[in-house]
Formats: sequence, structure tokens, C-alpha cells
Amino acid sequence: MEANKLTGTPVDRIDGLLKVTGKATYATDYPVKNMAYAYLFKSTIAAGTITKIDSTEALKVPGVLSVITHLNAPKLNEKGGLRGGALLQGPDIEFYGQHIGIVVAETFEQARHASRLVKVEYHKSEAKVDFEKLKKDAVPSKNEDLKRGDVDAVFNQADFAIDELYATPIEHHHPMEPHATIAVWEGEKVTLYNGSQIINGAQSSAANTLNIKSENVRIVSPHIGGGFGSKGGQWANLVLAAVAAKMISRPVHLALSRQQMFNSVGLRQHNDQRIRLAADKDGKLLALAHQTTTHCAINDEFVEPCGDCSKVMYEVPNSLISYRVIPMNIIIPTYTRGPGKSTGSFALESAIDELAFKLKMDPIDFRLKNEPAKDPSNGKPWSSRKLVECLKEGAKAFGWDKRSAQPGVTQLGDYLIGYGVACGTYPARQRDSSAIIKLIRTGNKVKAIVEQAAADLGTGTYTILTQTAADGLGLPISQVQVTIGDSDLPPAAGSVGSVGAASYANAVNEACEKITNELLAKSGKQFFVRPTAAQLMLSEGIDAFQTRMDAKSPEGADAYSAHSFNANFAEVWVNRSTGMTTVKRFLAVTAAGKILNPKTARSQIIGGNIWGIGMALTEESIIDPRWGNFITRSLADYHVPANLDIGDMETIFIRENDIIPNKMGIKGIGEVGIVGVAAAVANAIFNATGKRIRHLPITPDKLI
Amino acid sequence: MRPFKYTHVNTVQSATQLVSTHSNAKFLAGGTNILDLMKEDVERPDELLDITFLKVADIKMITEGPNKGGVSLGALSNNTETANHELIRLNHPLLTQAILAGASAQIRNMATNGGNLMQRTRCPYFYDVDMPCNKRVPGSGCGAMEGINRMHAIFGWSSKCIAVYPSDMAVALAVLDATVQVANSKGQQRRIAFTDFHRLPGENPEKDNNLLPGELITAIELPPNKFASHSYYLKVRDRASYAFALVSVAAGLELNGNNIVQAKIALGGVAHKPWRALRAEELLKGKEATEANFQAAAEAEMNQAKPLEYNRFKVELGKRAIVRALDMAMNNGSK
Repeated sequence: MEANKLTGTPVDRIDGLLKVTGKATYATDYPVKNMAYAYLFKSTIAAGTITKIDSTEALKVPGVLSVITHLNAPKLNEKGGLRGGALLQGPDIEFYGQHIGIVVAETFEQARHASRLVKVEYHKSEAKVDFEKLKKDAVPSKNEDLKRGDVDAVFNQADFAIDELYATPIEHHHPMEPHATIAVWEGEKVTLYNGSQIINGAQSSAANTLNIKSENVRIVSPHIGGGFGSKGGQWANLVLAAVAAKMISRPVHLALSRQQMFNSVGLRQHNDQRIRLAADKDGKLLALAHQTTTHCAINDEFVEPCGDCSKVMYEVPNSLISYRVIPMNIIIPTYTRGPGKSTGSFALESAIDELAFKLKMDPIDFRLKNEPAKDPSNGKPWSSRKLVECLKEGAKAFGWDKRSAQPGVTQLGDYLIGYGVACGTYPARQRDSSAIIKLIRTGNKVKAIVEQAAADLGTGTYTILTQTAADGLGLPISQVQVTIGDSDLPPAAGSVGSVGAASYANAVNEACEKITNELLAKSGKQFFVRPTAAQLMLSEGIDAFQTRMDAKSPEGADAYSAHSFNANFAEVWVNRSTGMTTVKRFLAVTAAGKILNPKTARSQIIGGNIWGIGMALTEESIIDPRWGNFITRSLADYHVPANLDIGDMETIFIRENDIIPNKMGIKGIGEVGIVGVAAAVANAIFNATGKRIRHLPITPDKLI
Repeated sequence: MRPFKYTHVNTVQSATQLVSTHSNAKFLAGGTNILDLMKEDVERPDELLDITFLKVADIKMITEGPNKGGVSLGALSNNTETANHELIRLNHPLLTQAILAGASAQIRNMATNGGNLMQRTRCPYFYDVDMPCNKRVPGSGCGAMEGINRMHAIFGWSSKCIAVYPSDMAVALAVLDATVQVANSKGQQRRIAFTDFHRLPGENPEKDNNLLPGELITAIELPPNKFASHSYYLKVRDRASYAFALVSVAAGLELNGNNIVQAKIALGGVAHKPWRALRAEELLKGKEATEANFQAAAEAEMNQAKPLEYNRFKVELGKRAIVRALDMAMNNGSK
């Protein structure tokens, strides 16, 4: 890696020009001929069964080709791997907004209009939709309680303790590109243009659900307009487009509306997190209990792991992590950026701040005092852990010494000013991925084509793979073409769980090494200095050469605990009159292994930070418990931060050289950017106002 | 959306005639609200009359009549150009602030002044055709009354409707004593005092305003005012832009030294129309401009509020917002 020139440098985004000129092809951008348009329609009850569907009026609308419901839909495999099931397989309703039919028409407008003319009758049963009323009936989840020592005994005798409940609301992913699919059948084969974070997963779940062979399904997903977990596991839209296309024997376009995004592709669940934290008078942590109560689908459990950060952040001899869950008539939750860690860190890191205040300790000193030498949850050594550096460097860069320990005393005009800090972590992993490299020589120029079924959510996969291949082959960026996002390419991990960069780049890097070795062998020569693959193509006069590498994570990686860590610093201004909060400055200091491209990495981190600020201050999906429907139905109601909400964003990466988790030393940054952010903001609000808000989002009404 | 006919109209006369004779036709100007509502199936016109090119888009000084020396805003000039027009920035900065506090830059570029007054409530139960709403379907009930009514009215609501009027611009117009000029199909003109333009829901929440069938807004007139240098628009909201007001306050203070000759205060986000805080205004008349007097006036106004389950905070927030807005008005926006 010493010879690297391009990885680690801020190369401009390879796909940037395509995107700003509108030429990047998203799911519905393909000019497919003879395409019909499908529009989904929904249940308006939360629990019960459909007793009658009358499509007469809908079918009379000019241009309407078909109305598909459970009465005429083909039998699909319910356990084919789609999240939330296959849909249209029976009359049962499990949540409000469940898709119960499709109208297919010549135009999108015709289909949408006709969908409103379908008359549906129901037999309604009592719906479980009110979390506050149901939470006393929560049952143990499939996650077993993790216990170490005896939290209760220690907690009751501790010098300093807190016992508080932290609540986070339902959130939605809302990528800019709503979920959409174009399905095109040719004989037994179907091509699905569909934004997919896991290309091969989308392929197998579509094939299994349709009861056809995987090789008969092709997923095309070169560009994805964001996903944040909602395009990881695939949802019914993927397969229903194929079903509709098969039934009318034409290509079908099926796109969700923004309103439908609330009930179609999962959500981040509401979590009630009770934290008990105890310390001795010197600030050594004695006990930590992190008990989460949440909801899942009525017939299927998904629980985001809110206790994960609490497992690894601090040295604590007595610990309890538990989950209780209520099956409810709400769409199944799913992975949402920093699943469990982002919400869990809000609870844990707020509690740490609260206890530090009780102890009259600086919250940074309190954390430093409880730094664990090895992973407290499993005793494994850290592959590397630079949380201390994150805190110390961050404190220096942010001007932490200017913070008043006393809350509510820093004022400027009508504003109360506060500083907050909070930490985060996310595991680092490499997943199996393959890559093919093709080298082509034309005269004295060598060009490389890199092929891999990798995904780029807008995060920078194209760019980092281009850099990696250019370095590995000895070529300039302009001579490397990266082709990804297609299930016809060599299989690869998903861009999920922060494994994308490590899995993809290591596979490409190893493929570069392999092709160089093969060219060396082919030359039959000995070289004093190892030549690059590009040099060998020229010196040996080879016109075309290719190889495939199937890469795995290094042996022995499992013996270590590998995580990225961060420290987040927020400066907030809270208006004393109105309770409106502005995050004036935000600094994230991150130790996440090798940073392949500081420019795209910074964008990733501040993207996570901004969502974390949204989690802290603005984002909430609200259910009306009388119907079980979301009353937040658009981006005017569901408040993601706007430009004006965001102040100065600063990012610092702590240098790490950790080749234990993978050969290139990449830890991944997709998730860690959001972890710890909400707590940093909430802690800053406490420092500004003296008010501790434990129920997100912290809207103005909570601060007056 | 439902199929509809699109018709381009060239004169105010033909626009008002067509809308009078075609029973289910509606005007289309910037389209920032009606097109959304049609996509959601809330508005169901069978014809849209595109009035974009009617010649009622000028912003100019009024040279005669009761509002002489004031400014006339063409119904079709857009929100952005209105907010930034030098006559408005100089003489009615309160309006500039209010417009710029609303929507997003992209929406303001499209939205017209007439359309701003004609936009409909953002109550989520109104917007969702699967929910009951007396405003959308008279007699179907009010979904918000027993529902999630955090954003809803605390003044002037009825058992039929608790929706609030969403416009920021309108709150400023209520303080600026604007009049709305309308035309009908017979070629007649009529002027409506701005505070009488929108209405409280009463028994007929389906009616947002007092326009008669077939009438079209052609202009909004602003008389000269004596508080341009002591006015302020304060909007309290859940995020810094593109969010409707929890509570907003338009305040103008006509001063003689430190004495208040006349205070003009209107609240947004609290009622089915911009809510003139007449009680607070009355209390401040002739008083010294002090924090204590502002506080007393705010208390007197807000203590009349009738909050609902989820919007009790608006009472305290309203008090604070009135005091803060008056403070800011006193100090010409900088404090």
C-alpha cells in the first residue's frame, strides 16, 4: 500500500457530472418501450380482512388495463425473502396502508385516478396501534437478555446513579428517490430496474418470491437515490411490478408516491429506552442497564439493537441489555441508518452526560475514566480503538475549554448557548465479495474495466473503487472504468451495515494483486522492481487479459473486536422566547480506519450528522391511534432538516492503520456518522438551558 | 389525478365569466397548492382556467383613492418579487419578512399573491381523503378534533373545524390593513377589507373566505402606514424553513417617542384566519412601550385562547411570541 497515490486523496466524485447533468439513470429512468404504469392502492383499516373488492368503476377509466388484487394475483412464495412479505396473497390486513391492489394503465395519472375508484369492504378487527397503551404488555424479544454481574444490587447501593427513560419516535428513511421498479419480461427472464442496496439479495428475493430461478432475474441498479436501509431488504414493489408486467404481457413501471413511502418500505421503530447507570464517587462506572421496549409487525419481529453501543463503549463490571417488544398493526420496522446505535446512543450518551453532571465531572473526563482496555462484552482485544484521541482532538479543535460546566449561564441577546459532546461506535466488517478485472491494451494505452455487483447509494462507491483499481494496476483514473449495480456482474456484499467500502475495495484490491501476479507469471521474467499490471500489459504486448477474485475477510479477524469510534461536539443556540434551537456548529471526530477518499467520506459523515441533528430536533412520524394511520404524510409534515437548520459542519478523521479487520484497513463510515449525534445536540441543549429533554425530537414546545 | 380540462384565459372578464358558467372550474395561477391537492384527490375540478397571463401582475404606488400613497400588489405578481420589491422593502418591510418566512424559495418563486390568499389549510385530516373532514366533505366530521391537533387552532374554532390558515403573508396583511380587490363576471369591482376576507369556520368550514362565486382577486392594496420602522414578523416553527407556523406574530408599533400611539398585532397558526389581537392592541394604545406592558397585553390576548389536547403549548408560546415580536419591532428587528 506504500505506493498508493490515489486512495486516501480527495478525488472528485466519478459519477458527479452524470448526476448534476441529470444523466445518471435511476430506477425509472430507462426508456423502455411499450411501458404501462402501475399504481398501488392501500388498506384503510389497520386490522381485519377484506370482504369485497369492486373494481368495476376503476376498469371503466380510459387507459386502464388491469386491476390486480388478492382475488386474481398469482400465488407467490410468502417466504421468498421480501421484507413485509409478498402482498396480494390473501384478504388479511395487518396495518393501515398495506397495499391491497394494483391498477395498471397506459399512464401514471390514469392508474392513480382509477385506483381511487376501487371500492373495498372490510371486516374490521381491533387494531393494536397505540404504543403508550400497549407497552405494559410487551413480551421478551428473540434477543436474549445479556447479563454480566448484578446490576440491581450494585445500582441500589451506588453513590451516584440515574434511572431515566429516553424515547425516540418513529422515523422514516425518505431517500430522495422513492422506491420504484420497471419490470421487463423476455420469455422466462425478467429484468428489474430497481434501486437496490444489496444487488444479489434483491435478485434472490425476487426470484424466490416469484418461484423462478435466480438466473432468470436480473437486477439493474447502477445509481440509487439514497436508501438509508430501506433499499437493503427489498419490499413488495419489486415483485409486484414483475407480477403486473407478467399479467398484462408488457413492461410495467411501478413507483411509490411520497405518501406511500410511509407505509411501504419499513421504518425506524419507536423505542422507549430505560437506562440505569451507577458510578462511585470517583466517577468509575459500576453498573449499566439498557432496557428497550419497542414494537414490531403483528406477525414478524424486527428489533433494532439499541443496546449495542452500551455493550462496548465503557468499562463497566455489571451490565444488563434487554429488549421487550409489542407486536403491533404497524408496518414492520427495518434497518435504518445506524440501526440501534443511533437511537441507542441517544439514550446511553444522554445518561452519561446526566451522570457526569451529577458527579460534577466534565463529561469528557468521565468518559476517559471509563475507557475499556478490551471489549467488555466479549473480552476480545480491540483491533484498534481511538475513542480517546477522538475526544481529545475534538475538545481541542472545538474549543471545549470555553464551555461553562454550569448550564443556562451563557447568553447572547435572547439566546442561550450550550456545548454538548457524545460518542458513538459501529462495528467494522468485511463481507464476501468478488470482482473481475479486465485489462485491454490499445497501442501504448491500457484500460481497465472493473466489474462487481456492488451498490452506490450516492455514497462514493464508484469513486473509491476507481481509486483502488487505479492504484492497484498502475493506471490513471481516466483509464479505469468501474461497472457496478448489476446482478450479471460478480456477486458482492450489500452497501449495508457499513460493510460496502471494506468488502468492495478489498475485493478489487486483491483482484489487482492477482492479475498482476498472473501477468508476471505469464511473462516468465524476473523483475528487480515489481512492475504494475499496466506496465506488464505493455512490456509483454498483451492485448487483453482478465481475472476474477473472490475475496473474504482475513482469517483471525474474528479474534478481535473491530469498531469505528467517534466523538461529536455540538454548539446550540436556544431562543429563550420561542424555544427554537439552532445547531450553530457541529464537529464530528471519527476514527474509522483508512479513509479512501476524504471528500466523499466527509460527505458521508456530515450526511449522517445532519440526519442525527434531524433526529434530535425535527423528525417524527406520528400515528393517529384511532385509525393507525400516519398523519405525517409528506415532507411538509415530516421534517428533515432544511439548509437553514444546519450551521457549520466540521469533520476530522483520526489516522488509523488497522489491518486486522481487513487487508486495506477500512472500517466503513456509512453508519458511524449518525451515531452519538442526537445525544450531542440534546446534551448541548441541557448545557444551554438546564433542561434535559429525554423525548425526541426536541421541538420548540418542549423548551418553553 | 382526475381527468380535467385545461383552458387558457386572456382577460379578467373571460376568466370570471368562464368560472361562473362552468360549474366545477377553478383558477390556476402558480399552482403550488391546487396541483398538490388535485394529486391527492382533495380538489376535484373538472376544468382549470389558467390565469397566469392576465394583466394583473404589477406592483405599483397608488396615486389616488382611499389608499393613496400606498402600494397595489397585482394578484399575479409572485411572492418573491413582491417580497423584494423596493416599495415593499422600504414602506412595508413587515410584508417582506412575512413572505420570506413562508414556504421555500422555489415555492415563493411560483406562488402568486392572489394564490397565497386562496391556499387551503394544511390540516393533515383535510389533506387525506381517507379521513373525515368537514372542510373537504361537509358533514363527514372533524378528524382533528379528537385527533392529533398539535398544529391546530386555539382561537375562533368551531365544533365543525379546528383548522388554521397556513399563510404567513396573510398575517402581515392583516396588520397592514390591506384591502383585497376583486372582479366579477359582470365587470364589477369590489373591495374587501383584508380582515374580512378570510372567515372563521362556524357551521360552514368548507368556506375559507368571503369571495362570492365567480369572483377573482385582481389586486391587494396596502395603505400607507406609520410603523414601517417599528415592525417585525416572528415565526415560531419546528424547523428553520419550509415548516408552517406553530405560532407567528406580525407586529407594528406606531410610536410617539416611547409612547404607543397604535399597536397592530396579528397572530398566525392559531385560527382559521389571521387573528388580529385586538384586545392586546387596545391595551397597548397610549401606553409606554415597556416589557411589562407588552407582557400584560400578551397575557390578556392569549388568556382568551381555547386550546385543544395537543396544542396547549400554543398559549404560552403565543404570549412569548407577542412579547418578543413587540420587542423586536421596538428595536427595528435587531435585538
